[in-house]
Amino acid sequence: MSQQISRRDFLKLAGVGAATTAVLTGCGPASRYVTRAPYIKMPEYTYNGLSTFYATTCRECSAGCGLVIRTMQGRAIKVEGNPDHPVNLGKTCARGQATLHGLYNPDRITDPIQRVARGSEGGTKMDWDAAIGIVADALSKNKPDEIAFLVGMAPDHLFDLVADLAKTIGAPAPVRYGALGMFEARTTLVKAAEETFGQTGLPFFDIGGADLVISFGANFLETWLSPVAQTREFSKMRRGQKNKRGYLVQFESRMSQTGAKADEWIPITPGTEAMVALAIGRLIVEARGLALPPAFANVDVNGVVEASGVTLDALNRVAGLFSLYDRPLVIPGGGALGLSNGLQTAEAALALNALAGNFGKDGGVFISPTNPLADQYHRPASGREMQDFIQRMVDGKIKVLFVHGVNPLFELPKKLGFGGATKYVPQIISFATFPDETAMEADYVFPDHHGLESWGYQKIATGSASSVLSGAQPVIVPFFNTKSTVDVLLAAAQKAGGALASAFPFKDEVEFMDSKLASLLNVDGFFSAPEINTFAAYFQQYGGWWKTTDNRIAPSSADVLNRSFKADAAQFDGQGDFFFVPFVSPILGEAGANKPWLQEVPDPTTTIMWNTWVEINPATADKLGIEDNDVVRVVSDYGEVEVSVYKYPAIRPDTIAMPFGQGHTAYGQFAQGRGANPADLFGPSVNEAGDLAFGSLKVRIEKTNKKRQLSRLEGVLGVYGFDSK
Amino acid sequence: MSSIAKPLALPHAEEQEDPREQLMHDPRSRGEMNDMVMESMHSTTWKYWTVTGILAVIVVVCLFYAWYYLIMQGLGVAGVNRPVYWGIFLVEVVFWIGISHAGTFISAILRVLKVEGRRPFTRAAELMTTFGLVQAGISVFLHMGRVWLSYWLIPFPNERGLWPDFHSPLMWDFMAISTYLLSSTMYLFLPLIPDMAMARDRSTGWRKAAYRILAIGFRGTEGEWKNLITAMNIFAFAIIPVMFSVHTIVSWDFAMASRPGWSSSVFGPYFVIGALHSGMAAVAIVLFLIRSTMKNMKYFLRPEHFDLLGKLMLMVSMAWAYFYFNDYIVSWYGGDKWEKIVQEFTEKGPLWYLWYAMLFFNIVVPFAVLWNKKWRQTPWLLAIVGLLINAGMWLERYIIIPETLTINRMPFTWRLYVPGVEIVLTIGNFAFFFLLYMLASRFLPLIPVWEVQEGHESHTLRKIGKASIPTLSDME
Amino acid sequence: MATDLQLPVFTNNSENELAGRWGMVIDQDICTGCQACVAACAMENNIPFVGEADAGYGRTMHWIRIERFWQGTFPEVKMTPYQPVLCQQCHKAPCEPVCPVFASVHSVSEDINLQVYNRCVGTRYCANNCPYQVRVFNWRDYTDARQRPELVTLQNQLNPDVTVRRRGVMEKCTFCIQRIRHVEDTAQSEGRDVRDGEVVPACAQACPADAIVFGRVDDPTSKVSKAAITSRGSHMLEELGTLPRVTYLAGGSAQ
Repeated sequence: MSQQISRRDFLKLAGVGAATTAVLTGCGPASRYVTRAPYIKMPEYTYNGLSTFYATTCRECSAGCGLVIRTMQGRAIKVEGNPDHPVNLGKTCARGQATLHGLYNPDRITDPIQRVARGSEGGTKMDWDAAIGIVADALSKNKPDEIAFLVGMAPDHLFDLVADLAKTIGAPAPVRYGALGMFEARTTLVKAAEETFGQTGLPFFDIGGADLVISFGANFLETWLSPVAQTREFSKMRRGQKNKRGYLVQFESRMSQTGAKADEWIPITPGTEAMVALAIGRLIVEARGLALPPAFANVDVNGVVEASGVTLDALNRVAGLFSLYDRPLVIPGGGALGLSNGLQTAEAALALNALAGNFGKDGGVFISPTNPLADQYHRPASGREMQDFIQRMVDGKIKVLFVHGVNPLFELPKKLGFGGATKYVPQIISFATFPDETAMEADYVFPDHHGLESWGYQKIATGSASSVLSGAQPVIVPFFNTKSTVDVLLAAAQKAGGALASAFPFKDEVEFMDSKLASLLNVDGFFSAPEINTFAAYFQQYGGWWKTTDNRIAPSSADVLNRSFKADAAQFDGQGDFFFVPFVSPILGEAGANKPWLQEVPDPTTTIMWNTWVEINPATADKLGIEDNDVVRVVSDYGEVEVSVYKYPAIRPDTIAMPFGQGHTAYGQFAQGRGANPADLFGPSVNEAGDLAFGSLKVRIEKTNKKRQLSRLEGVLGVYGFDSK
Repeated sequence: MSSIAKPLALPHAEEQEDPREQLMHDPRSRGEMNDMVMESMHSTTWKYWTVTGILAVIVVVCLFYAWYYLIMQGLGVAGVNRPVYWGIFLVEVVFWIGISHAGTFISAILRVLKVEGRRPFTRAAELMTTFGLVQAGISVFLHMGRVWLSYWLIPFPNERGLWPDFHSPLMWDFMAISTYLLSSTMYLFLPLIPDMAMARDRSTGWRKAAYRILAIGFRGTEGEWKNLITAMNIFAFAIIPVMFSVHTIVSWDFAMASRPGWSSSVFGPYFVIGALHSGMAAVAIVLFLIRSTMKNMKYFLRPEHFDLLGKLMLMVSMAWAYFYFNDYIVSWYGGDKWEKIVQEFTEKGPLWYLWYAMLFFNIVVPFAVLWNKKWRQTPWLLAIVGLLINAGMWLERYIIIPETLTINRMPFTWRLYVPGVEIVLTIGNFAFFFLLYMLASRFLPLIPVWEVQEGHESHTLRKIGKASIPTLSDME
Repeated sequence: MATDLQLPVFTNNSENELAGRWGMVIDQDICTGCQACVAACAMENNIPFVGEADAGYGRTMHWIRIERFWQGTFPEVKMTPYQPVLCQQCHKAPCEPVCPVFASVHSVSEDINLQVYNRCVGTRYCANNCPYQVRVFNWRDYTDARQRPELVTLQNQLNPDVTVRRRGVMEKCTFCIQRIRHVEDTAQSEGRDVRDGEVVPACAQACPADAIVFGRVDDPTSKVSKAAITSRGSHMLEELGTLPRVTYLAGGSAQ
């Protein structure tokens, strides 16, 4: 009695009779292969009415929070945070909570399929052997440099495999991309750190240790880098110190959720963040009566006041705060970096930190710990790198494209032309779990398991002071006829034979992971084990492995202040009247739109559910004769979208803002045809670091005569008064 | 019309009315009146059947089918939401209970006060009470989320020891309405007995069989009359407090709740007077319809009755205005923050026009029209005034329930109410009311012949000199 | 003669049976409005989603919502501190006496308000009378997979410890009574008292800012009791005398 059984068979059997029912649980190392056993021999970890908990890693974004999934009788019931996990210490965000709606999503791709034609619904179902054959052929029959891998920011074990695979066959290194990475402007941050400190790595801002945080556009409480960890640190900063309340100042043109929590929200003209930062530095130095370092020497404070719309009083007040508080911290991020002068902003902010003298100190700036597998941080591709990639596609240099964990047709701005470039690629193989836009355009879809059905690990990029390798394991038996992409690639490598087969002699995903984890044997950490089976068991039990020491790297700050910084005004494309501020929906993120409960979780600032809106200052709207819920056309030089208006009190009158996350043309019934995608307006221009300057846009608004009611949680009568409609 | 000579040489002769224009001084023989009433019951035209048929279809579609739909889909198909958990269904409950007050008021209070003008239209008003309560009851059930479990409101012994909560105003309401329905049906039935006996003696076929059962063997002996009169007197006195209590208790559904705009101690009498306001107005409409569509009714229902009704309507309207502003000023002067917001919302909010319409219909219209005796005596005008008052009173309940519910102590939740399937069901409710009335008009004598007869007996014209002077003899 | 049938006797010893008076402290100064509590609550308590139209019409089923208002106009505009509003578990709850069928009852042992879904007939009086507007009604059959085929797979997520509600029933926050009971049972079987911090409702468990503290307010040494003792603390609509069990710590610059 050791035949394998699927979950659905189990349910059928359970209906037939309890006596012969299989016992089924998520996992444990042995239960990777679920076997049928008599009912009376129930495994010790499964009792009717009692829950079983599995530690794993959240895949809703790349922050890699540790989760503990409560399961009961083979079903995943509830997502809870892993209290031991250094990133989130038992906490989760809304997206993490809703990950079960991805797992049990009615629109998941259930079987490997071959599309009849790209873009068509459905396709011919295949069996997995045929699918593996196709992957094997794609790997072995094409010239190595014509094979391309495009993968998402999670999971890392797949990235490692693909990277090894590419190296073995001599193909170009896999490209990582994610819309969150673009909106976070990670490349700019990394580049700024490199230029400032001469060290590579993602900067780490110790919010929890600071007592004054000045943020230039960093939406660190929403989606930026590691929001759960940063929210915890914010809470520590605000209320965690004895007899002192942390103070937050936010410079941004549209009040984000983070701005809403700020003690001072200072609306600033987009693109003037760098000069404001330098002006504040100059005012601090002047107030202290010190010699003016070259860093702040070039800035003209009055010119800054004029350009930025921030009053001299406000600048002086913020400068004064530096003396008032012990451990000031300046964070550049998000929208402020996605401008043509984003790199200058990041560097100017780091210069302010240098002035505060907080490099490598509590409440200061660090370089994030290197990951336990001791390789470098694989940042997602910048806008420029993606443009190069698309150019390779257009030039016909890519014959087969493997896509996993990313939905470039939605996440890349339309203007970059990924959609048009696909027709130059003869074969596209998608490993999508959901029928997203890219999967619709693929020739084959070989669906991967959902994150909660998968093995894996994630190298934590930032968010934890210690070096963390977060572990993932399946919490339930796969719900559909899906197959782990790592397994598919390993099997394909075997099938392809030759050097490929001998380079990857692994029976399955777990063996491959074990080979990677082997480097952690006998290393001091949260646990330590002498051999791989014990280590792997602990790794699953605790949801990863991490050091218990502070592994943050102190950056050098020797001569930051003696460098000279530029602070140009940002360049804006287009002739419109309005600056355009796109931001990632804090609830939906880049890939939450197919989860009905996330759709119904109200946006923290506007309380809107289920749709996209454009935020316009009420005074501006009145001037233009626009009411709430009027549909307007937002037009940039590169595209246009139609979207309903939300009169938002906390946005500059010369600025409009739109959330990113909706506007799907595929991706299941809850996402498809809902809302609009602000990325359709983006142009191709990039900043000095190569990141897409998505905010460097001037757009105009055209009225349409349509109206589309936005669903809000708030009662308009109570929040905006009786005369609001 | 009549050929009796007018009294001469009286001053202001042109202002004097001919007493014979009054029903009580224009007697006809008992047999003749019986025949007139019987004829009105028997004569049905194609118009009658068309209207009845249309009403029946409306009832089936708009009430029963829509109700089925509502039950199967849940209350989501109605317009209720958070914070407006109560919508038009409860507006209808209060409205129909209000309508039902007229019957008891006219029949019981005016009987006790011996207002002679009541005689020909007590029956019509009592029928309104019963049929109105039927609509109110239906609306209560429409309102409930799980109507199939509504019997849990009944305190019946059960093995789980579960009882309804008598703390709940809804429980009081349930008790009061059921008591009222029961007693008003009884009170409808008692004065009906002699008329049933009359009809029994003048019918054949199924009607005779039905009337025989309803007449419960009444033959008109002195003993029977004596018992009947005693019973009616007891009921007349007993039902008056029930009537006052029922709408007071309905008002407590609101007044007992801790909501701004509701928690008001004057709601009891204010609701009772409001009920009379709409009830009287509804009687005017119904009387106009009866008079203009049924045979022989012009004899029984005369301008003098509309005059009486008009006076009552005017009086009630002024009383209602008093209570309304009493409530208004007390909450205004009280200065409670939330009460003020509710007032501001009703007057200046997005539904401000409802408030002005309510005051116009309920106060201005009756005040402007009903001071004029000529106008009062014009049945169609009175019916229109009645219609407007009813619209106004319906709006009043709409303002009190869904509109006031928009405002609560959590401004974040303030939201307007947009009716959905309620509108259809309201149409169904009204159709059902009129359908019942249409059917009853051909089955029950809408004029209590014996009461009119009794009036004739006690009213006589006596010749004193050359003039005929109306006199009233006390028969009891 | 009456014979003793040896039937079980149910008595109401409210003083003796009080197992713990549970309460919550929510710090508005660190609540970032991230909605993790909203999502966690929905997942734990089998709360259905209602779709765009109903959601926009005030029919969301959230047991907890985050309120915020605006002060001033641009550029002096400020958002008021986020305020998560959930059932305040009033000691003297206005929702309880108005229910005609005892569906809204007070739990003797936990001293919290409970809704008996089976008993509810849907008069919605309790929701009207709730000053905090935290009761939500099942306007439609949101949980019926026969009417909503998209639920067929999603239903695998339902928590077996929590009843799934159908149309016409009122529901509300229960302070995750299933978790309280579970911990109480565990403690009892281990022969000990419930430890402070052992019971964590789904919202507090998820809250990344740790803005929600839960525990026994009748125990002066508990974390929640200590957190409540601050000049920033207040109860919502305290003037109504409902004795709510949730303490809010004011946000903004108050010390």
